[in-house]
Amino acid sequence: MKTILISIIMFLMFCSSGFAQTLEERIKVLEDALKKQEQTIKEQQKIIEELKADIKKGKPEEQQQMAQPKEAPKETPPPAPPEMKQATPAEQQQIAQPKEAPAPAAKETQKKSTLEQVQEQVEQLKEEVGQVVEAQKKNILSVFNPAIGLVTDVIPSYTSQPSTKTGKDRPGGFDFWLRSVELDLAASVDPFARAYAVLNASADPVTGEASFTVEEAAIQSTSLPWNLTLKAGRFFAEFGRLSYIHDHELPFVYRPLVLDEYIGGESKTDGFQLNFLFPLPHYLSLTAGIGDQFGDTPNDVGAFRHFNQLNFWSRMSTYFDLTPNISLETGFSGLINPSTTDRGGLLVQPDGSIMIERQRRVLDLDLTVRYQPLRNNQFKSLIWGAELLYSDNCYLVNPTGIPGKALFNRTVGSFGLYSYLAYKFHRQWTAGFLYQWLENPQNNNIKISAYSPYITWAISHWNQLRLQYTYTARNGAFLLRDDSNISLQWSWIIGSHAHGWQER
Amino acid sequence: MKLKMFRLFSVIPLLVILCSVPMPAHAAKIRIVTTLTDLADFARNVGGDQVEVYSLATGVEDTHGIPMKPSFVPIMNRADLLIEVGFDMEHSFLPALQEASKNPRIQVGKPGYVDCSKGIIPRDVPKSTDHYAGDVHPYGNPHYMLDPVLAKTAIKNICNALVEFAPQYQAEFTRNRDAYLAKLDTKIAEWEREARPLKGVKFIAYHEEWNYFAARFGMDFFGTVELKPGIDPTPRHIEQLITSMKTEHVPIVVREPQFPEKVPKRIAQQTGATLITLPIMPGGVPNTETYIKMMDYIIHTMVAAVQGRK
Repeated sequence: MKTILISIIMFLMFCSSGFAQTLEERIKVLEDALKKQEQTIKEQQKIIEELKADIKKGKPEEQQQMAQPKEAPKETPPPAPPEMKQATPAEQQQIAQPKEAPAPAAKETQKKSTLEQVQEQVEQLKEEVGQVVEAQKKNILSVFNPAIGLVTDVIPSYTSQPSTKTGKDRPGGFDFWLRSVELDLAASVDPFARAYAVLNASADPVTGEASFTVEEAAIQSTSLPWNLTLKAGRFFAEFGRLSYIHDHELPFVYRPLVLDEYIGGESKTDGFQLNFLFPLPHYLSLTAGIGDQFGDTPNDVGAFRHFNQLNFWSRMSTYFDLTPNISLETGFSGLINPSTTDRGGLLVQPDGSIMIERQRRVLDLDLTVRYQPLRNNQFKSLIWGAELLYSDNCYLVNPTGIPGKALFNRTVGSFGLYSYLAYKFHRQWTAGFLYQWLENPQNNNIKISAYSPYITWAISHWNQLRLQYTYTARNGAFLLRDDSNISLQWSWIIGSHAHGWQER
Repeated sequence: MKLKMFRLFSVIPLLVILCSVPMPAHAAKIRIVTTLTDLADFARNVGGDQVEVYSLATGVEDTHGIPMKPSFVPIMNRADLLIEVGFDMEHSFLPALQEASKNPRIQVGKPGYVDCSKGIIPRDVPKSTDHYAGDVHPYGNPHYMLDPVLAKTAIKNICNALVEFAPQYQAEFTRNRDAYLAKLDTKIAEWEREARPLKGVKFIAYHEEWNYFAARFGMDFFGTVELKPGIDPTPRHIEQLITSMKTEHVPIVVREPQFPEKVPKRIAQQTGATLITLPIMPGGVPNTETYIKMMDYIIHTMVAAVQGRK
């Protein structure tokens, strides 16, 4: 099985073709243009020297030629190729056909003036070419480096309840959280694939020490046939709408609770994923993948992982332009882990029972409606996004929590959703409201709802502040209490920052 | 039973992928996708009846911020040629769309990828790409299309790409190109005549879009409403801009239609300058559907604004 999979991957990877670099071509064009200009000057200097010699000899027919100077400017128009400094038609006419029979002294002055003009243009051209060459030179030392960007995300906050009453990782009260320092690297591997890595360091909630993780490190094919793209390595799998978006790119401060509870935060996996674009006039995309984990919590598979202990997922998505300014995008996703082994450990329930996850099944329906006026889409938009998830996990239950008692299987069906509205009323300002509601995936009698108004100030494309208030109500949750939280998120980016398809 | 159903659910997508038959790549007309409307106009003029052209922009958008609509993806997937302005103008949307299109013909470096900036010397090549200078373009200012002489290079590049793609129509493409260039040359001479009153006239605009235009027609591009490219103005910047405009007697404020009117209007009111709205690509304002009509509109509006002040 493994051999077959590897063979398929290898075959697909090498079916593509390559890139070419246009930067050097551009410099070459500029250099050629400069050479031509210099050649033109030399030719014109030669003509002028000849004319001067002829004037001294006083030959009338040569004086006549001076008025029509050997057609040279016509054949090699002075400010030649790179169009930039090309003379206007009116100027060209002036150069090529001097006004009728001026006096010899005047003609010479005119010639000199033409020469000066050309020289001036060549000097200007040299300067401009120099600028371009200089601009390229500065990249020479780092020419083989990938694109590098560093994203930092800090969140000072205040929570009204201690973590023992909220069930959160972060302490209650005042908290200053360096949520992530993310190093992004990306480059082409060869003509057939691109690769990227996202290395993340974040502060431990208790000790404050930085813990380092490889969030993503994946290779992606660039030109497979049959509308296919293959991704392999560690990556955020395409599932739903926001589970594969990095924290700092979310439209609000925190990842929706339903994604944390049902997916395990980001849809992180080690595996591979194939995406297929249907060859139709309408946008329809299908993604399917396989990996050994999904979300933050890995399976404890022991010494041997069976095929049914892997995770399988897929997502079908489509898009409609309702009007030029209004669009609807929707997707349907499914995840199954047929045999989960101790994922998340022993799950102690409020009634004292202990559960162990045996099988994981999640379905997801996502919807995004955008009003984005074409004319000033950078300044104004209204986005409604929602995601509804259904978890149908199967657990092995020890009803009393006492070892040796009879165990039985229980399937728990739970729903959860989030829905947000974001109104951008200025290039820098967006106001929004997030509503969340979910049932606990192990016990659907425990329900949580949360309400979060927020406002975002994007000082620039790379520097953003967001203020969010969240009231969380916990219904039926043993020992847990409702709480209020106010957070100020400050995210910034230095270096390279690509605008990916997923973050659109 | 349920488990078997879920297994089946996971396998079906793979089967669908393997069994799907791609649509035939060959079609009667050459399918061209352009990023902006001026390129679409050029492609139609050069390609004539042999081409079918689709522009991602409609004309009213910010040239750097065309929305990445998934509906573009199937169109780009089937494109034979993708024509872009270049100099990193389209960096915020085109690379992601190219990747999503899964069309190997239009990827960077392939014959179907047409960079119209080839052969053009850029202005304002930044010494540093540090974001202190705003959202600068590492290869230089990409708004060369507002200089009609440089636009001729773009037209030639489009023609070359078409000839390379379909050499059987070389004569037709060359004929179309020459006819259009001749028409453009006549218009350039006309615009230069008309624009004589603009020589030396200072103006400001919202974004650094007019550097090439100003150089071609002898105008003085005095400054921008934006603090830096892509960075919104601060109150202090506006105050300084107003003061320097008053000192230097800057008579014109240009607002591009994709930017809000409020700040340019306030600057114009406080400096006594004339506020005009000018398109940056065909279709940006009514009656500018073609490149020539757009340039006509720009020159006429600019000249009228200058002469109206005398």
